Amino acid sequence: MTSATSPALHTANERRRTGSIAWHVGALALLAVVLYPVIWVVGASFKPSKDIIASLDLLPTKPVWANFSGLADGISGISISSFFWNSLMYAVLAVVGVVLSSSLTAYAFAKIRFAGRNLLFTLMIGTLLLPYHVLLIPQYVLFRNLELTDTLVPLVAGKFLATEAFFVFLMVQFMRGLPRELDEAAKLDGCGHLRTYWSIALPLSRPALITSAIFTFINAWNDFMGPLIYLNTPDKYTVSLGLMMFRDQEGISNYGSMIAMSLVALVPVIAFFMAFQRYLIDGMATSGLKG
Amino acid sequence: MGTSRNVERRTILKAAGASAAALGLGATTACGGDSGSGDGTVTLRYAWWGGEPRTIAIKKTIALFEKKYPKIKIKPEFTDYEAFWEKFQTQASGGNPPDVFQNAVGFLRKYDKRGVLMDLKSQADAGNLDLENFRNGVLANGQVDGKQIGIPVGANTMALVIDLKAFEKAGVEAKFGWTWDEYFDALQTIQDKLKIAGDTGYFSIMYLYDLYLRQNGKAFFTDTDLGFTEDDLTQWWEDGYKRVRSGLVADPKKIEQVKPKSGLSAGLAASEFTWDNFSIRYEGEGESDYGLAPIPTTDGKQTGQYLGSLMMSAFSGTKHPKEVAQFISFMVHDPEVGKIMGYDRGILATTEQYDAFKPADANNKGVAAYEEEVAKAGVLGKITPHPSGTDVIEAAFLRIGGEVAQGRTKPADAAKALFSEAKAAFAG
Repeated sequence: MTSATSPALHTANERRRTGSIAWHVGALALLAVVLYPVIWVVGASFKPSKDIIASLDLLPTKPVWANFSGLADGISGISISSFFWNSLMYAVLAVVGVVLSSSLTAYAFAKIRFAGRNLLFTLMIGTLLLPYHVLLIPQYVLFRNLELTDTLVPLVAGKFLATEAFFVFLMVQFMRGLPRELDEAAKLDGCGHLRTYWSIALPLSRPALITSAIFTFINAWNDFMGPLIYLNTPDKYTVSLGLMMFRDQEGISNYGSMIAMSLVALVPVIAFFMAFQRYLIDGMATSGLKG
Repeated sequence: MGTSRNVERRTILKAAGASAAALGLGATTACGGDSGSGDGTVTLRYAWWGGEPRTIAIKKTIALFEKKYPKIKIKPEFTDYEAFWEKFQTQASGGNPPDVFQNAVGFLRKYDKRGVLMDLKSQADAGNLDLENFRNGVLANGQVDGKQIGIPVGANTMALVIDLKAFEKAGVEAKFGWTWDEYFDALQTIQDKLKIAGDTGYFSIMYLYDLYLRQNGKAFFTDTDLGFTEDDLTQWWEDGYKRVRSGLVADPKKIEQVKPKSGLSAGLAASEFTWDNFSIRYEGEGESDYGLAPIPTTDGKQTGQYLGSLMMSAFSGTKHPKEVAQFISFMVHDPEVGKIMGYDRGILATTEQYDAFKPADANNKGVAAYEEEVAKAGVLGKITPHPSGTDVIEAAFLRIGGEVAQGRTKPADAAKALFSEAKAAFAG
């Protein structure tokens, strides 16, 4: 028996191994394709400005630091750090606003029965269908009449009022999945809705909160249209607007600094993601089970 | 039940409180206000598009102005060309454009139609704005239906930029008054001897087709419509496509690949038509030497050229029309401002500034010499009208012309498409 099975097992093993090698080679090839643009940007940031649009080489023949050190001089008399500070303020306020307001709204939709709940929920989902450009000018007129243009208010006010329907929806779906028994236990212990929201629903919804936070951060960081329309003073520009200032349709664009800056602009996004993604997985695995 | 309702209400109150607090937090960063303050100081918003050198120069000129007019403060707003117009469109619709801004001929009628632009004539009559001493009649570029809605800061004209080394190596020469046949013969020689294309894609450039039409007694626009027929355009694009296929005009795919670099500075072709004040980019991008050459003609004399302009316009709803007019007047006439700005926005428009600035670098000298030569040849004509929708049509012309070049659209269909897009643009 054994002498008969072992060669068969052997070939099966072998087949598995070749399969696994093919799988890895394929995955690596795919990875190379996906990473190519990133590597190109990193390589280009060390090329002299003139070579960036001229040479097709992936990596610079002679790496230079000029693009990065040039950033220290700022652009058009504005320091680069002010762009980063403005973007950070915008992104952090947006995250705080979305997490607080959306989760509170979601709690109401998921846990409280009240008249017109389904209608309101449908209306809220309906706002997802409104194109941004339809809202643009009425919103602009509104904030102009409030004399709030050229501030961060128009950009973050909506985030504090739970207007990001997608995140509300995400959290509603998540909270509906939380065991009812926990709410009931809290109620027996004398918790009102606010306490239940704060002590029960919020901690258990961590994965949904983290997901919303990550996406909100990235969206705010990359937002171009909002800051473009509302911010007038160049000192208040965000990174996405600052990047545009390196372009010059009528003269010589400073591609070197533009690429160096876009690379630096990636850092906060990646850092934010790295810092929070472990909570994401951790939270998924244990939600509802921790005491 | 009663208690739970209470809590609900409290929850809602808390939520409202949190939002209000958030708004308050945001509002602390607010310190806007475009209006005057107690001591009579007036603040004007001034917006422009352009690269870093322009911005730095304009900031210097603003400092000069504020020194001379201590009661007027200028708040600069600047970005690049595309972002500028995207933002301007929203602000204009929302009734909040800057008090003063950079403008171009192609946008005058568009925003005049919407009532955004101030007629500066009344301010000139009131003595706040000086309309004298503009060179070569460029002041007319800012006039629409008898209103002065733009004040030119510079003048520029279409030109042919050539790769000087390639022309020399092939033994061909660009001469004043040369014809289209002579031009394409020269490109043929370059193609034969140097194995590169002659041109980067002349037939997609609206402003060049305008010159060609003007040489033939027509123009791209009338006051309200297109100034040519579908057959005219079909012919123009058929000839163009023929030249792409023969290799006289560079392969559009390759041109696309080297973007944002120009096909000329990438060495794919030996010549390109563009505005003369854009020519600085080629020296910065390419390895060869570049120069400005005359526009080919139909009859051996008329190039059809005219002077275009960047200008300054004012918002019709500004609270400080007098100060706006004083600012514009200073910016276009003050000799020191001319020295600082140089030819960045075209050859300086007024004699005071033109006389004050002596170009030192090769590129500026080249541009100045070119416009002088064109002016001397007496070929400069009156500017073609730019109806509302010009900016949209220019972009459509470039896009559809590109489709023709790639063989994706037949010239006749392309001409039809352009006419229908133009109709929509005029109506919009």
